[in-house]
Amino acid sequence: MTTMTDFDTECEDVSFSGITMDTLGRFLAEYSAWLWGSGATCVRIDKNVSRIAMTYGYMADVAVMPRHVTVCLSDEGGNVHTYTQRVVRAGINFDLNTELSALSWSIRDGKLSLDDAEKRFRTIVGQPYGNNFNILWLTSLANASFCRLFGGDAAAMGVVFFATAAGYFLKQRFLREKMDIRVIFFLCAFISASLASGCGLFGWGATPGVAVATSVLYLIPGVPYINAASDMLASHYLCSFSRFADAVILTASLSLGLLTSITVMNNCL
Amino acid sequence: MTNDSIISWSVFFDDALFSAMAAIGFSSISHTPQRAYILCAVAAAAGHSLRFLLTMPGGAEMNIIAAATIAAFIVGVIAVFVAKVIKVPAEACLFPALLPMIPGLYACRAFEGFVGCLSNLDETLFSHNLYLFVSNGMTCGAIVIGMAIGANIPIFLMKKISFQVTR
Repeated sequence: MTTMTDFDTECEDVSFSGITMDTLGRFLAEYSAWLWGSGATCVRIDKNVSRIAMTYGYMADVAVMPRHVTVCLSDEGGNVHTYTQRVVRAGINFDLNTELSALSWSIRDGKLSLDDAEKRFRTIVGQPYGNNFNILWLTSLANASFCRLFGGDAAAMGVVFFATAAGYFLKQRFLREKMDIRVIFFLCAFISASLASGCGLFGWGATPGVAVATSVLYLIPGVPYINAASDMLASHYLCSFSRFADAVILTASLSLGLLTSITVMNNCL
Repeated sequence: MTNDSIISWSVFFDDALFSAMAAIGFSSISHTPQRAYILCAVAAAAGHSLRFLLTMPGGAEMNIIAAATIAAFIVGVIAVFVAKVIKVPAEACLFPALLPMIPGLYACRAFEGFVGCLSNLDETLFSHNLYLFVSNGMTCGAIVIGMAIGANIPIFLMKKISFQVTR
C-alpha cells in the first residue's frame, strides 16, 4: 500500500492533467489485472499503479484477491472510488511485464497522455509474444539439461528431449483449444513420462529412472512458487496463498500424470 | 592435480553449463525479453554452480536449504545489476535464473508419498510413505522460501535500481 510519504515525494513536479477519476480508475484496474496475469509480484503491481495514479494527482491502493484486483483511487478532496477487475490468466510473460512497467514510467515522465497510454496498453496486451517453435525446442533443451543435472546419461538426455518436445507440443495445442489447465498438466505429464519410459523398455542407457523422473520437470510451476514466497515476504498473504494453492494444484496434476504413467508402463513390462 | 579433483572440476563445469542451458529454456518458456537470455544463463550458472560447491561432499558440505538461500542471494545481486544494463525488471532476469534450482523432484516425490499413504493401509508402508511425503514436502517448501528470501534481499536493498530500470 502506498504511504503518504511516497505520495508527497513522487508527486513533486507533476502537473495535474484534469482527467476524470473514472477513466483513470478503469484503466488502472485493467492494467493491474494484466500485470498480475503476466506474473508480476504484488510489490511491482502496487508500485506501478501508484506511479501512474500519482502522475494525475491521485493516490492508489491496490488489493490483489485470488480472482479479482481492486484499485481504490482517492484525491486530495477526500473523494474515494473503487474499481474492480477480474484477473487475466495470460500465463507467465516477463516481456509483457517489462512493457507494462516501461509504460508506467512513460506516463510518469509525461511522455504519454492517458489516451495515448491506453492505445499503447491495447497494443502491448494484444500482440503475440514469442515464437512457439523456438520455445518448444528451447524448453526441450532445458529439460534435457535438467536430466543431465540430475545425473542422466546421454541416452536419457536424448529421450527426455523428445519426450519434452512431444509433451510441450501437446500443451501448446491444448492451450489453444482452451482445455482445463489441470487436465492439460495431467495429460502432458502422462505423455512425457510414458515416452521417457522408452529408456527402460528398450534398455537405452544406464539411467532410465532419471529420464522418467525429469521428463515432467518442464511442467513444474516454478515462477508461481517463487512469486508466492515473494508476496508472502511482502505481507501480501492472500495473494501469496492463492498463488501457492494454484501451483500446488498444478504440481499435483502433473504428479498424478507421472504416477499413472509409471503404473501403466510397469504393468506393460 | 589428482584424478579426483579433475573429476570434481569437470562435474562442476558440467553443472554450470547445463544449468545455463536450462535457464535459457526457462527464459523462453516465461517469455523473458530475448536480450536477457544470455545474462539469465550466466546468473543461473553462477548460482547453480555455487550451490553445487556449497553442498559438494568434500567441499563445504552445507545443507541444501542454506546453500540454495546463499546461491539465490548471489543470483539476485547479479540479476539486479544485469537488469539495469538491459533495462528489464529485475524479476525477469532473476526468476528464469532461479528456476534450475527449484526443487521440482522434491515436490513430485512429496506427492508420490501422499498417494502412497492413500493407497497403502499397512502401518509400516503408510508410515514410510508419510515420511516421504513430509520430509520431501518440508524440504521443498523450505528451499523455495529460502530461495525467495535470498533472491529478494538484493531487490529490496537496491530498490531504486530494481524498480526504476524500465524507465
